[in-house]
Amino acid sequence: MTSTMPTQKAPPALRGVSLVLAAAFSFPGLYLIWRNISTGADPLGLLTSQRTLAPLWRTLKLAVTVSLSAAIIGTALAWLTMRTDIPLRRTWRTVLPLPLVFPTFIGAAAFIRTLNPGGLANGLFNSIGIEQAPELRGFFGAWFVLTLFTYPYVYLPVAARLQRLPGSLEESARVLGDSAIQSFRRIVLPQIAGAVAAGTLLVFLYTISDFGAVQLMRYDTLTRAIETNYLAQPAVAFALSLLLLVLAAAVVSGERMLGRRTIAPATARSTRPVNYRLGRWKPAAAGFVLLVGALGVGAPMVALIDWASEGLLRASRNGRPLAISSDKVVEAARNTLESSVLAALVAVLAVLPIAFLVGRYRSRIGSVSHAIVIATFALPGILIALALRFWTLRSGFAGDLLFDSKALLIFAYVVRFGSLAMGITLVAVQTVPDRFHDVAATLGANRIRRLRTIDLPLMAPGLLAAVGLVLLSTMKELPISLIIAPLGYPTLTTRIFGSFEDAFVAEAGIMAVVLVAMSATLSWFLVLRRAEHR
Amino acid sequence: MRCMRPLVSVLALVLFASACGGNTTERVLEGTAADIFSGTCATGEGQEVTIYSGRTENLIEPVLDAFSCETGIDVAVRWGDSTQLALLLDEEGDRTPADIFLSRSPGPVGFLEARGLLGTIDDAVLGLVAEENSSATGSWVGFSGRKRVAVYNLDAVTEQELPESIFDLTSEPWRGRVALPATNGSFVDWFTVFRDQFGTDVATQWLDEMVANDAKYYPNNRSIVEAAGRGEVDLGLVNHYYNYQEVAAAGDAHRALNHDFGDGDIGSLLVITAATITRASENTNEANQLLGYLLSEPVQRYFTEETFEYPLAAGVPAAEALPALTALEIGSVDFDALGGGFEETTRIIEASGIANQ
Repeated sequence: MTSTMPTQKAPPALRGVSLVLAAAFSFPGLYLIWRNISTGADPLGLLTSQRTLAPLWRTLKLAVTVSLSAAIIGTALAWLTMRTDIPLRRTWRTVLPLPLVFPTFIGAAAFIRTLNPGGLANGLFNSIGIEQAPELRGFFGAWFVLTLFTYPYVYLPVAARLQRLPGSLEESARVLGDSAIQSFRRIVLPQIAGAVAAGTLLVFLYTISDFGAVQLMRYDTLTRAIETNYLAQPAVAFALSLLLLVLAAAVVSGERMLGRRTIAPATARSTRPVNYRLGRWKPAAAGFVLLVGALGVGAPMVALIDWASEGLLRASRNGRPLAISSDKVVEAARNTLESSVLAALVAVLAVLPIAFLVGRYRSRIGSVSHAIVIATFALPGILIALALRFWTLRSGFAGDLLFDSKALLIFAYVVRFGSLAMGITLVAVQTVPDRFHDVAATLGANRIRRLRTIDLPLMAPGLLAAVGLVLLSTMKELPISLIIAPLGYPTLTTRIFGSFEDAFVAEAGIMAVVLVAMSATLSWFLVLRRAEHR
Repeated sequence: MRCMRPLVSVLALVLFASACGGNTTERVLEGTAADIFSGTCATGEGQEVTIYSGRTENLIEPVLDAFSCETGIDVAVRWGDSTQLALLLDEEGDRTPADIFLSRSPGPVGFLEARGLLGTIDDAVLGLVAEENSSATGSWVGFSGRKRVAVYNLDAVTEQELPESIFDLTSEPWRGRVALPATNGSFVDWFTVFRDQFGTDVATQWLDEMVANDAKYYPNNRSIVEAAGRGEVDLGLVNHYYNYQEVAAAGDAHRALNHDFGDGDIGSLLVITAATITRASENTNEANQLLGYLLSEPVQRYFTEETFEYPLAAGVPAAEALPALTALEIGSVDFDALGGGFEETTRIIEASGIANQ
């Protein structure tokens, strides 16, 4: 095995491009610092107050536990669906990423509607002998819901990594007498550690920035304090947000220090990946995947479909007509598809240079850019939206040009979700062995040709997973879609929000079902096409 | 490169989808908007007005469609959350494209007024509502109202038990049974008026006693009404509006009803939704015209018949299904007099520890 510890000096062009990208991604952070100064905020003073420390502690407790459980569940699901003969593998690969697409404000509400006392699953609970379902709330409720919403951040990169991981080593290990578990620990785990770490970091950052789920579970974290203070005491809201960002930056830097040991495989694409027979473990494994699928996708879907069908039935029974027409749903769906696909493609392209710089060379510019891109994920979306408005209003001609444009919306999404693409793309870059380059260079291939014929094909599963992550996340994004989108550019999420706010649950349910169906189609598309190349 | 083919296909799908959109302009309105204005649409002269609306699209768009059709003035809207839109207006300052801001509740309006971002509404428009439902400085005008009520689960609360006043809820029989949307805008506004009417000490003591009586915290009105329907909570303090929506959607299957507190109790305050014109607006004529339209007879009728809200102008009576109005209205409280009222309210609510309940 060769280590890809970078040694060469990076080409100036690559450093230049990364610097420009890093500057683009630092807009929200700079805005936040400026707002802390302009409002006379006192983030350090807040740190010593019990009113900050208590929610900060709860935020950390939640983020650490959710990270752990999402890492375990995401990794286990990836291994089971990529490496074993578990039934319905294809289907699971399409379904398992889907919890990403539920906007938390309606997803968490749907969970509650299905699972909590008196909810839709009450009859089911009674029939299996549970008289009263436990009430999902507080720390447990927040942990439960967020674990189910965030495991795809781990599942997707790990599954992509496993797909490109040659089975030869595992086979040798098995021939030498290792059990499946031993070979997983000794061979597979070191190879996927980078992907697991990158995904877990995203789970951590998402959890500290989440507001929708924690507020519905009534678990009081830092984001609730931020939300309550926006109008009442803006200085406090900005100071607390800065604390979030600093916390995120610290965790990102920590992960980088640990994550430098990524190991490239000795051979890539040389053999087909192994497929373990689960044997007598099959029912248990299938049960586990089914349980996660049923809770993560099934439970919220039950409530959404219930709301949607009630509305459709009502309209057909000549009850109150629906407040939305099919034209409006189609319009919103089209905008959602357009903006999320563009954002996903641009996000992956935007982080690629930084990933090359960090993965191939030793570069301070690279490390800093990487940290900026990822830490931004911990900021509430509304701050990114306000930051962009702040900067476009202060950048003269360019600002006028961008004001109220789709380009600005896409840019905002990319800044918000570039972090999701960053980790996987970096892992993908690091897993292309240097040897291939050396050989190709010796044979006279130029840099572009090497990129096209060696890097991109080897990185393809990782890049597609990155596209998928950004795509599903953008489809559900709310604050930026409300604040930055051009006037008259509704998305499914903005219309779901509007309907749900005023308790038009049928309309919200219908559009949420459309959103999930659309993302399932896209997810299936990516999985299916990927499978063909095996 | 084969592996990039899915991306290319998806992109093609997007471009195709984008290409087959397109709007047609109609000369006559359909659906709900036609109930407000049924005539032939006027031809515009290029006038336009831009709205940031914290009120939601399903309820407000028919009104705007009717206005646009009747007057020929184009209306562009950014729909959103009132608090976030207020922050956006603050960020945009004099360069905002918005002429009008519609708020779900008075809090964000108070914030904008304190920042000097609101212009003055024409007296002719202000005069359409009772004095207490518009600002003394002319910066806002109320255009509909939502009443504070108690929502309760039919199976968990008997009619004899129902409280006369919010002050009853601090007593032992209600221990652990009451839900408060303590950080929600409507509750914060209500609590601010509560302080104004009874004094900060009384209001703070009430909230502390509610916390001591194990009141439960919920993030908003909607989640309380939903929880009351399932029986997760017995009773909650909310806006009257949400239970009407739930019943309209689910009928008898929804097991919760609204309860009105006694006459004059602070628990049955009317909280108005306010319309404002931004200081930066260059289309003040059109903006005033639109505000006047919101207060016209057909629109006020629409608000009460279709959206279960209280009308505030044109002599329109409240829909029969709505509980009778008692004297208290939030409009009677002067935003200017409250000063840092909302900030202080937020501080008291935080200090009570309700958010951890």
